Amino acid sequence: MSEKPGSGASGFDRRAFMAGAAGSALVPMAARAAAQDASVPAARDPALPVDVTLRVNGKDSRLRIDARTTVLDALREHLKLTGSKKGCDHGQCGACTVLIDDRRVVSCLTLALAAEGQEITTIEGLATDDRLHPMQQAFVDNDAFQCGYCTPGQIMSAVACVKEGHAGSEADIREYMSGNICRCAAYPNIVAAVKQAAPEIMKG
Amino acid sequence: MTAAAPEPKANMGHPVPRYDAAAKVTGRATYASDMPLDNPAYAFLVTSAIAKGRIDGFGLDDAKAVRGVIDIVTHENAPKLKESKLFSNGGYAGTTIQPLKSADIAHDGQIIAVVIAETYEAAREAANRVKVSYTAVEPSSSFDSPGTTTAAAKGQNAQFKEDPEAGDFAKAFDQAEVKLTASYATPTQHHNPMELFTTSCAWMGDNLVIYEGSQYVYGLKNGVAEQLGIDADKVRVVNPYVGGGFGSRGSMTPRTAIIAGIAKRLNRPIKLVPTRDQGFTIATYRAETRHEIRLGAGRDGKLMALRHEGAEVSSRPDAYCVGGTKTTTRLYACPNVSSLVSIVRADRNTPGFMRSPPEVPYLFALESAMDELAVKLNMDPVELRRINDTTVEPIGGKPYTSRSLMACFDEAAKTFGWSQRSPQPKSMSDGDWLVGYGCAATCYPTQMAPSAARVRLQRDGRTRVEIAGHEIGTGAYTVIAQTASERLGVPLEKVAVFMGDSDLPPAPVAGGSNSTASTCSAVMMVCDQIRQRLFKAVMPGDSLADKAKETVGISQTPSTQAAKSDRPLDIEKAFDALGVGVVEEYGEWKPEGAPLDSFKAMHSGHARLIGGPEMKDKIAYAFGAEFVEVRVNRFTHEIRCPRLVGAFAAGRIMNPRTARSQLMGGLIWGMSSALLEATEIDERNARYVNDNLADYLVPVNADVPNVEVILLSEQDEQINPAGVKGLGELANVGTNAAICNAIYHATGQRIRKLPVRLENIEV
Repeated sequence: MSEKPGSGASGFDRRAFMAGAAGSALVPMAARAAAQDASVPAARDPALPVDVTLRVNGKDSRLRIDARTTVLDALREHLKLTGSKKGCDHGQCGACTVLIDDRRVVSCLTLALAAEGQEITTIEGLATDDRLHPMQQAFVDNDAFQCGYCTPGQIMSAVACVKEGHAGSEADIREYMSGNICRCAAYPNIVAAVKQAAPEIMKG
Repeated sequence: MTAAAPEPKANMGHPVPRYDAAAKVTGRATYASDMPLDNPAYAFLVTSAIAKGRIDGFGLDDAKAVRGVIDIVTHENAPKLKESKLFSNGGYAGTTIQPLKSADIAHDGQIIAVVIAETYEAAREAANRVKVSYTAVEPSSSFDSPGTTTAAAKGQNAQFKEDPEAGDFAKAFDQAEVKLTASYATPTQHHNPMELFTTSCAWMGDNLVIYEGSQYVYGLKNGVAEQLGIDADKVRVVNPYVGGGFGSRGSMTPRTAIIAGIAKRLNRPIKLVPTRDQGFTIATYRAETRHEIRLGAGRDGKLMALRHEGAEVSSRPDAYCVGGTKTTTRLYACPNVSSLVSIVRADRNTPGFMRSPPEVPYLFALESAMDELAVKLNMDPVELRRINDTTVEPIGGKPYTSRSLMACFDEAAKTFGWSQRSPQPKSMSDGDWLVGYGCAATCYPTQMAPSAARVRLQRDGRTRVEIAGHEIGTGAYTVIAQTASERLGVPLEKVAVFMGDSDLPPAPVAGGSNSTASTCSAVMMVCDQIRQRLFKAVMPGDSLADKAKETVGISQTPSTQAAKSDRPLDIEKAFDALGVGVVEEYGEWKPEGAPLDSFKAMHSGHARLIGGPEMKDKIAYAFGAEFVEVRVNRFTHEIRCPRLVGAFAAGRIMNPRTARSQLMGGLIWGMSSALLEATEIDERNARYVNDNLADYLVPVNADVPNVEVILLSEQDEQINPAGVKGLGELANVGTNAAICNAIYHATGQRIRKLPVRLENIEV
């Protein structure tokens, strides 16, 4: 986050401040966390809880949450489904990838309210009856992870990548798996895993 | 065997799948911020918008008005914390800049307030509404900024003991037939592990539990206890899984004790999830460096003179440096050597270790210079390394315990097809693409540290290993389980491993590539204690040394042991003789040459790493050779790296699968370091500009080329009982130079400053 230099919302008078700090450098007056313009007229207090029903892995859960809660934070902080990970909260890393109505979505950029009535699938919902999903098994077989933090997002993305028809070649897999960063750089093994699992997933 | 699980060669373990694989692919692996807390409050950090100066005051009314805000902590009301010294001066901290202590600001992005609220969303909003007025002073941001101070590292950093030298450099350089003088530079880089720098703290009475991704739970436990002024036994750090470390979680950051103090005051668990951009300034980073290399050689290529000067940026209060001359002055046979490392102090957060801290910048300089020298000599760069290969390091005259550098060069060259290279620059192309081949040596010191372990064996063979090691993606669970399985002769699936908890027996920091060597040596020793007890029970007249080696196969590969008998020792008979249901042993292992106070230091969270060039009468390194193909588009100057080949020798390979993955990741790290990664600094404000994962470039899948890892068989019995050299930081060292050398070959342009971007190419 970066501040807005000289933001009028600061509550401090910029000129008075500068006069008072004569000789010091011109500096932004807000803290680095100050990114929002507080002068926007207040609507409904967003911190007032709202009721939302989320359908996750085939199960409905009724939540009373802050209206700004993302799907990621709803899963992690309210439903205790911590498989989906927060790596950036900006949609830049893919660690939070889930399926919403079978499409891959970065859950950190999706509000929980906006996902109401849709089917959310997380890493916890992929295996059936203690049997690993073919993509999970392929990740194990091909050592497609090291620290494992990006892995739930990689696997959810990989499942969608195959179903989208984007796993036809290694080049395709590389391209369509590029929204998920793996800092350990298990990439060649991830490509091998997607290749291994694709035929089985397409068979259904 | 898949590519992921290479067939083991001599002195390699089985490429079994990871112990933690199922947990990691199902989302069941619990990282620090996944740990359940009872009714937590949420913390959000406010960080400084200036790099130097002081806070004149806060405007907190707007922030406090946000529904759900519980408290706002600034230097005016923060919990009082004791200071902790820098880890290199006998403390635990990665920085001595302690936020929330006064109104002073020492660097951009310093923590200046912590907002606590009922929800994450409320804490974030309130943090955004905190107003701060500052008196700012113009900061010094880096090397060329006015106001920095520069001094030799020796004398100000306890871990940098000497500027290595030998013979008479000045005279030898003067007389050399072929001379090279060249300057190199490397940028600021940030680790950016995928897991954010989260901290959760919960008190139960006087006892504190900390959930935080850490590469050193004993260091963090003792450090936080010191800052809080409480008994270290009251603090427990738990992190069974760590979402990447790369050095960023090796030393204590200021955030932990702050959150612990606030949780105590509020009598409530606190969960902090900092943002990605805050991670750039609340933890450490790899500082930018500059180098001047001078090489003097005969026409035959023999090095006669070598000088390496390095300069590194650090913060105002802390003399951190990596000092890689300890390696670069010893890598090749050269009788006349001198060196100097300097530290430049600027208004920055204190840097710290990042994967292969000394070797990445310092070998980039040396291995680039070696390539430049080969060009001057009109000599194949591989042959130049061969001519200067040595079994004895030139500074102290100590022998390498083993050194497979040229074997690695030859193996990698063959696989890569180095003989297809036409030596002249700009002589190879493919359509619009200029093609270049380059290579470089890679190496990393073999290090060990004292470690303890507890092992429990049940009558049915079930085994439980307890050790406060760290799973940062290296495969620590897996190789420890394999070690116990092999040593006790029990099936791998019967072994359970518990790590990442400071209530377990202490293990050293997961850094300096020492973990496998240290923890596996300790686990081996404790398994032997168990076997000793069992053998004594069934064969009271025999000593372990006589019998056990033959029957249980201490130094044998597990396959030969299994082939002999699936139960070399009748465990049930031994348990009957002992008359017990469980045999449990605890033991403490220390490497050869460890000082007397090593175990005391181990328990108090001070990891004393021993090895590399600092052993008494020998020197121990792992080696490798890396070859790359680079393609530079002659019109757009786009740089691509379609092939990376590395051959590595690192003593016993515990598991070829996890070893290959780490080395592969390391090669990609090296490619990333050469072509992508740099933290850009706004020099006016001493501020990191690209502090997010969209602007700080790390490789994505489409960036990653064909990577080939070759594991060479190597046996070294002089290093540690496990025979392990460590390889987590081996592969990303040579790649920077290999890629720049390949770019030179492709374009005729020598680039001495990283990273290389298309705007740097002037074809």
